[in-house]
Amino acid sequence: MSLPRSIGFPRMKNEPGEKRVFLPEFIQFIANLGVKVYVEEGYGSRSGYTFNDYKRSNSNVIMCRREEAFQKDVAVVLRSPKPDEFQLVKRGTVLISMLHYPTRPSRVESLKELGINAISLDSIADDRGLRMVENMKAVAWNGLEAAFDSLEKLWPDLVRPDKKPINVLILGTGMVGKHAIEAATKLGSVERNNDHIASNGSGAVAVSIGRNIASNAGTMKSLMEQADILVDATQRRDASKPVVPNTWIGWLPKHAVIVDLAVDPYLLDVDPPVVRGVEGIPQGNLDQYVFSAEDPNWDKLVPASIPSQHRRTTVSCYSWPGVHPEACMNHYAQQLEPFMEVLIEKGYDGLSLEGTFFERALYRATLKAWMLEEMSSPHSARETD
Amino acid sequence: MNQAITIGLARMHMEVGERRDFLPSFVARLVRHGSKVVLEHGYGSGMGFAEDDYQTAQSNVQFAGREEVLEQEYVLVLRCPPDSELKQLRAGTTLISMLHYPTRPERVELLRSLKVEGISLDSIKDDNGKRIIENLKSVAWNGLEAGFQVLSRTYPTPGFESGDRAPIHATVLGVGAVGMHAVQAASRYGKLQLWQSLASRGVPGVQVTAVDYDVASREHILREILSNTDILVDATQRPDTSRYVIPNEWIADMPSHAVIVDLSVDPYNFDVTPPEVKGIEGIPQGNLDQYVFEPNDPAFESLSNFVSTTNRRHVVSCYSWPGIHPRDCMESYGNQLRPIMRKLIEKGGVQNINPKGLYFERAIARATLSRWQGTEQSEFIKTKSRETSNKE
Repeated sequence: MSLPRSIGFPRMKNEPGEKRVFLPEFIQFIANLGVKVYVEEGYGSRSGYTFNDYKRSNSNVIMCRREEAFQKDVAVVLRSPKPDEFQLVKRGTVLISMLHYPTRPSRVESLKELGINAISLDSIADDRGLRMVENMKAVAWNGLEAAFDSLEKLWPDLVRPDKKPINVLILGTGMVGKHAIEAATKLGSVERNNDHIASNGSGAVAVSIGRNIASNAGTMKSLMEQADILVDATQRRDASKPVVPNTWIGWLPKHAVIVDLAVDPYLLDVDPPVVRGVEGIPQGNLDQYVFSAEDPNWDKLVPASIPSQHRRTTVSCYSWPGVHPEACMNHYAQQLEPFMEVLIEKGYDGLSLEGTFFERALYRATLKAWMLEEMSSPHSARETD
Repeated sequence: MNQAITIGLARMHMEVGERRDFLPSFVARLVRHGSKVVLEHGYGSGMGFAEDDYQTAQSNVQFAGREEVLEQEYVLVLRCPPDSELKQLRAGTTLISMLHYPTRPERVELLRSLKVEGISLDSIKDDNGKRIIENLKSVAWNGLEAGFQVLSRTYPTPGFESGDRAPIHATVLGVGAVGMHAVQAASRYGKLQLWQSLASRGVPGVQVTAVDYDVASREHILREILSNTDILVDATQRPDTSRYVIPNEWIADMPSHAVIVDLSVDPYNFDVTPPEVKGIEGIPQGNLDQYVFEPNDPAFESLSNFVSTTNRRHVVSCYSWPGIHPRDCMESYGNQLRPIMRKLIEKGGVQNINPKGLYFERAIARATLSRWQGTEQSEFIKTKSRETSNKE
């Protein structure tokens, strides 16, 4: 059994708005565990970090080329590398990333073929199956913050013309929906809410409903007519059908903002096709996540065959946590630290379900564990990096 | 090789309805990890376990009288024993329990004077300050389960289970940790099987309105919401417990069939200045022996004259909501506590726990009485701690 002695941190090659990198404190934490840490040249530069910020005179922190970062005993990158980048990973390297095994079968095949010892961050789960590396709170809060930002342009200080509370209708009562309730009642920002309440503002009231109410058109009509913000936080059993057909969007007041936290894509070339929870809204990313009803990109991002004549301002982002990159990476680092300790102590091959709490959780995220699991019970999972 | 530690597991002798003890599977793991375990005679009997059940799970488990259990070098018990029993602990003993340092300064002083080390379960926290040992989910789910059971009886024609009724309107006051669980629980009637059953029959679900504490006290907003509320949940964490969130007068606006679910379980205390009151004025405080109160229950009459009970609805309130389902509760606590106890046993005792060690060592170190600096705690922290101290 070989223990990892070197860990590479390659940059993410995604949209320009993707600024997330692991922070210097995390790199120092890893280096102080006694392994060499190789940081790709330019790592963190989009966020203003220099190599010296990472190095801090620590001899275990070394700058390297991109290819080298993928060739170390372990390579850590938050969002999955592109398919062609898997070729850069050395056979036997432990690749730690959001790999989303359940929804990326071709990626799983590539990892197997290339002999990559994958650990999928989204599959690290405790004994009850709860994800241990996740940022669903940021999904909800960042999405609601963007929605209230939009509404505030119409209603300064978020004061409704009739002085009543802002009405937020939340579809979905799972984990993201739960965080959305808290974010909604705090106007998407604790600081903003404190100022608003101190100014005697009426705040916001969140109405949360599950699928057995969302499926009733009559009830939905009366709820949507009163909603200032509509939040899709659903996890649909059948992704081929929308929760909110496009015609229902016409029930929303003209000023209403739609918040897309579910971030399911349009996939019309699969059978059955996958459609978005709220029919006819675009999917955004870190480069653009606010779409007014008149936005020219609307027609580029929504397939022509999808009804979209009813439109309201929509906020949607595939990577909501990335809207606030430092807070996001600080959060992930804190979740990851105990797992890095275990990995360095036990090595990939030494992980087992007989080990400690964190070892068991980490083992569940290995590709080998996934393959065993998949043979016995297929999965589906939400993707929120 | 570290020396094996000996752990005594004491029973909880509070109200009759307190039936919780750690499960045989948890106790067996303590032995497998390398400790010696002594259980108090009758341990687990409240949940139907015999001594054989523990010894079948792990033959090395021993039983003894309470006095002998309290003499072990480590004593593990969920709820803290009364002061009279703490005085039976030997100097050098480590007590592992919900000790609530921030709100129990007298207890802290007593333990220190007895030279007893503490590991407070409610102070075992991760690097972000989040509690590792807690059961707030059960607080919400058990409370809502009880609330909907009552509502199913009080709901008017066409009836709670009728497909022709309107969606149930639940209102949750407070959106902290308990409040968020309460929203989820309310949307599922506090019981998954009931939710699935009603949903499969096409019965309209539950529409949950969540109101933050800051808005909950705004009369014009709340009274309008209350007039359309079937089930009202108090999950607030008030920074000022001398003020009601809902004065008794507002309860008059609620439908007569409505049910009030008390999850915050703050007590009335008129012996302190300023007096402490419950979040909703005029509701009684329950415990594991009685947690359902009809509007004509004598418990309303026994409240202080300072409290108005003029307007009444059905109330469910329990000081220890997780204890309603003792096995589920102790399974949850056992799962959370397992890695903590494993680390403690592997290290050979609390004296070998390194505050800068690995994750669980750091978490344990934060919970030790010897590291507790009570005088440095801010009033804010004291307040927050008080508000969660009644929910184990």
